[in-house]
Amino acid sequence: MDTLSRIKNLASKEFSLDAQALDPAAPLDSLGIDSLSFIEFMFKIEEEFGVSVSDEDLKGIKTLGDLERHVAAALSAAGKA
Amino acid sequence: MAERRVAVTGVGVISPLGSGLDDFHRALCEARSGIRKLPPEVAQGSGVQVGGLIDWQPAPLFKEAEAANLDRASQFALAAAAQAISASTLKLDGGSDRTGVYWGTGLGGAHSLEVAYKQVYGAREWRVRPLTVVMAMSNAAGSNVAVRHGLRGPFANFATACSSSAMALGEAMHTIQSGRADAMIAGGSEALLTPGTLVAWQALRTLAPADAADPAASCKPFDKRRGGLVLGEGAAAFVLEEETRARARGAPILALLTGYGNSCDAAHMSRPDRGGQIRAMREALAESRLEAQAIGYLNAHGTATAVGDVVEAEAINAVFGDATARLPVSSTKSMHGHLLGGAGALEFAAALLPLMRGWLPPTAFLEQPDAACRLRHVPLRAERVAPPQAVMSNSFAFGGSNVVLVAGRA
Repeated sequence: MDTLSRIKNLASKEFSLDAQALDPAAPLDSLGIDSLSFIEFMFKIEEEFGVSVSDEDLKGIKTLGDLERHVAAALSAAGKA
Repeated sequence: MAERRVAVTGVGVISPLGSGLDDFHRALCEARSGIRKLPPEVAQGSGVQVGGLIDWQPAPLFKEAEAANLDRASQFALAAAAQAISASTLKLDGGSDRTGVYWGTGLGGAHSLEVAYKQVYGAREWRVRPLTVVMAMSNAAGSNVAVRHGLRGPFANFATACSSSAMALGEAMHTIQSGRADAMIAGGSEALLTPGTLVAWQALRTLAPADAADPAASCKPFDKRRGGLVLGEGAAAFVLEEETRARARGAPILALLTGYGNSCDAAHMSRPDRGGQIRAMREALAESRLEAQAIGYLNAHGTATAVGDVVEAEAINAVFGDATARLPVSSTKSMHGHLLGGAGALEFAAALLPLMRGWLPPTAFLEQPDAACRLRHVPLRAERVAPPQAVMSNSFAFGGSNVVLVAGRA
């Protein structure tokens, strides 16, 4: 399964959303994901992918698509992808 | 200005004796005990043998992901509050600026804190869930109730150990009487049957060992054989409303909350003091404008400790004088254990049983009353009575806090 699909599946479970209908370009708050929920979600993303996203990078993540790019970059940097 | 009286219009219960007020009252009538041997994964190396452990299933009330973000104490609180609001028929769609939440808890999110500590001190992994703070904080349970129902009126969280939730009820009554709110959700919850908390209690040498013949009979308040308290968990929630508004909307009026006494021993962190207890009982009676003789049932704090039960019996005798011989007193902790921060609220729900249904809840397992606890007990079995004019519930806490509530017939 590709990175985005894994992220969508996790988001669908965490926030009770339909994974198929999740738009990677939609702002997180439009999906009902507030900042506190997102930080908790990031914790699970880091566990799932075995990567670490810095506080600085976290500020730039506004959509699930942004998140995918950061995770992919972190995986690549760690030689995991 | 006309006096604003406070009606109890809904009750919710999550307890070792079952879920919902009806099941809770039925269990009390049957003198059934919810105390049992703690499974090894709960007790671990703590040495604690028995507890009022709830067989809790978050579903269907909470989805899996939702439950994972709520401490057990908050889940109990939300479940009890939902029951109470539903029973009251109070419509809270869109929330309310004139309805608030006063909640009580001793420790707060003990499970969430323990998970984090286990990670750090056990696994030596300095990485804990970001929600740890908001799940573990003491006010999380009450805040979750406010958020869930949009209750934007007065909010407070009381953490005075074993009197916490009784204080929440008493203060909520005053808040409605003063006009600051028209309705309040008040109660308390506790969920601290975790190995780390249990071992701390065990170190106090105040917990009862398992009864060799029947673990369910391990808590024996007022009995010569009593060996200490038994910890329990759960929640109780109440909808309190200004009486005329409640009657105008046709709400079920279960009882009136009429008196609240609050004192501090200011003497010792754990040893109870007769004087403080007496002052709190007298204050609750005075606020209710009742003579002691009007009380037809007293739900004692009755933890089943050697000293505590005797001191409370002395205090009751001092307040009620000759009427003590005719005042039925019981400790329902014999059946549900000590819910600590949730105890006052759960026992207030027990004290409503004679008012609502004409049954006196018993002190289960009271076969050999201690002569030093000179009271008119309700031993072993519930007793049928005509609903009394009023009832009293005592909650006395470590730290010296004493809270007494008085309720009258609707």
